[in-house]
Amino acid sequence: MYNLLMKDLKLGVNPMFLVMPLLMGALMLVPGWIYFIVVMYFFWITIPNIFAQFRAQNDLLFTTMMPVTKPDMVKARMSVIVILEILHIGTAMIYGLFTIRLYPDLTYYFFAPHLGFWGLCFIMVAIFNLFLFPMYYKTAYKYGPAQMTAIAAAVVFAVIAQWVGIQSSYVSDLFNGSGADNAAIQTSILAAGIVIFVASTWIAYRISVARFQRVEIQ
Amino acid sequence: MLALDVRNLTKVYPNFQLRDVSFQLEKGYIMGFIGANGAGKTTTIKSILNMLHLDGGEVRILGKNMAEHELELKQEIGFAFGGIDFYTRSKMKTLTDVMKRFYTHWNDDTYYSYLSRFKLDENKKIVELSTGMRVKYSLALALSHGAKLLILDEPTSGLDPVARDDLLDIFQELVVDGEISILFSTHITSDLEKCADFITFIENGRIIHSSEKEEFKESYRLLNGSEDQLNQVKDRLISFKKNSFGFTGLIRSQDFDPSSGIKAATPSLEEIMIYFAKMEAAHV
Repeated sequence: MYNLLMKDLKLGVNPMFLVMPLLMGALMLVPGWIYFIVVMYFFWITIPNIFAQFRAQNDLLFTTMMPVTKPDMVKARMSVIVILEILHIGTAMIYGLFTIRLYPDLTYYFFAPHLGFWGLCFIMVAIFNLFLFPMYYKTAYKYGPAQMTAIAAAVVFAVIAQWVGIQSSYVSDLFNGSGADNAAIQTSILAAGIVIFVASTWIAYRISVARFQRVEIQ
Repeated sequence: MLALDVRNLTKVYPNFQLRDVSFQLEKGYIMGFIGANGAGKTTTIKSILNMLHLDGGEVRILGKNMAEHELELKQEIGFAFGGIDFYTRSKMKTLTDVMKRFYTHWNDDTYYSYLSRFKLDENKKIVELSTGMRVKYSLALALSHGAKLLILDEPTSGLDPVARDDLLDIFQELVVDGEISILFSTHITSDLEKCADFITFIENGRIIHSSEKEEFKESYRLLNGSEDQLNQVKDRLISFKKNSFGFTGLIRSQDFDPSSGIKAATPSLEEIMIYFAKMEAAHV
C-alpha cells in the first residue's frame, strides 16, 4: 500500500498539485466571498487533471502488472486524493485565520470562515468522495461522469447549506452571529463534519473495492 | 516441472470466445504463441495473468494456481505488452526506483548489468527509447526481480530485423540455464523458426495445435498438384488455393497418402497459419 502511494505521488501526481493548495487557499483572503468556492476549486482543477494523467499514462495496466492487490490499489489511490483534500482544506483554514483578523469589522453575507464552516466543507468533500470513487471504480478509467456527478452533488449541498445559512436566522446566528464566538459549538460542528467525512470516505472505499474487483483490465 | 500449465480456459464475449484453451510449457524452454490478429493471443495472456474474469479453466504457474497465489506468483513473472508504455515522460531511473520497491527479490547489480548489456542509459526518458530499447528495458526490469517465467505479448512487433535478431538471441541465452522459461506471442513466424522450442497455435479462440516446433511442422504437409489431383484430396485438405498450374493446399500428415503421387513438402509456420486462417474464413 505504501509503495503504491509513493508510486502515485512520484509518478502520477504532478508536484504542481501539491503547491496548488497554497495558491488556491489564498483566495480565502477575498473579503466576504462565498468560501465554499475556495474548496471547490480542488474538484474543478486538481481532480480532473490528476485522473486524466493517470489515464493518459496507462496507469491501470502498469499497476496491475505489479504484485499488488486490487483493494490496495483502491486504498492507495483514495489516500492520495484524501491527502490532497485535507491539504486543501487545511491550508484554506490557515488562510481563513488571517482573513478573520485582517477584516475584523466586515459584515459577512455568506458563511464566515469560522471553525463551524470548515465542518460544512468536510461534509461537502464527503459527499464528493461518496459519488466520485464508487462511480469511477465501475470502470477504473472513465472519470468524466463520476466527476460531473460528484461535483454536482457537492455544489447542490453547498448551495442548499448557504441558502439555509442566509434564510434561517438560527443557522445564520450559529455560523456568523453569536455562535461564531462559542468555541464549543464551532468545534463540535467541525468534529461532526470530520466524522461524516471519514465515514463517507470509508463507505466509498468499500463500494469502490467491490466494484473494482469486477473490473477486467483491458 | 511445468513453468506454465493452462487448462481449459474459457472466456465468452458477445462477439468472441476463447474455447477450451489448454497448453503446457516446460521449465527452461521458449514457447512461441502464434495466431493472426484477433485470434485470441492477448486475451489468453491476460487470462493467464488473472486480469480477466474467466468463465472456466485454470492457470498454474510454477506449480501454483494463479488465481489463488497471484501476489506471490507475480513476484516470479515478468511481463511486457509490447514495450514499456507507461509514464513515458519519466526517466527510466524514476520508473525503476518506483517499481523495484514492489519486488522482494530485486537485485540492483543484476539490473545495472542488464542496463549496460542492453546499452540503456537510465537517465533517458521512456519516450526517447526506440521500440527495441523499450522491450529490452522491460526485460531488464523483469530479470532484475528474478522472474522465472517471462510472458511477452508481441515483443518483436515493430522491431527492425537487426533488433529482432538481437532480441531472439537474448531469449535463447536466457533459457540456457534451464531456470527461465519464456512464452511470447507473435504473428511474425520467422521469429519462431529462429528461436522457439515449442509452438502453440491459436485461431479464432481455439488452440489448433501445441507441440514441439519440428513435430508441429511435420504434422502438416503442403501439397502441390494439378486440378485433377485436387479432386482426389479436396475433402481432406484444411484449405487450398487454386492457381494456373493447379493448387497448393495444407493437409494433416495423417490424412495424406504419400503414394498418391502429389508433391508434398513440410510447410513453414507461416503457411500453416495462412491456410488455417483461410479455412476459418471459408466457414464463416
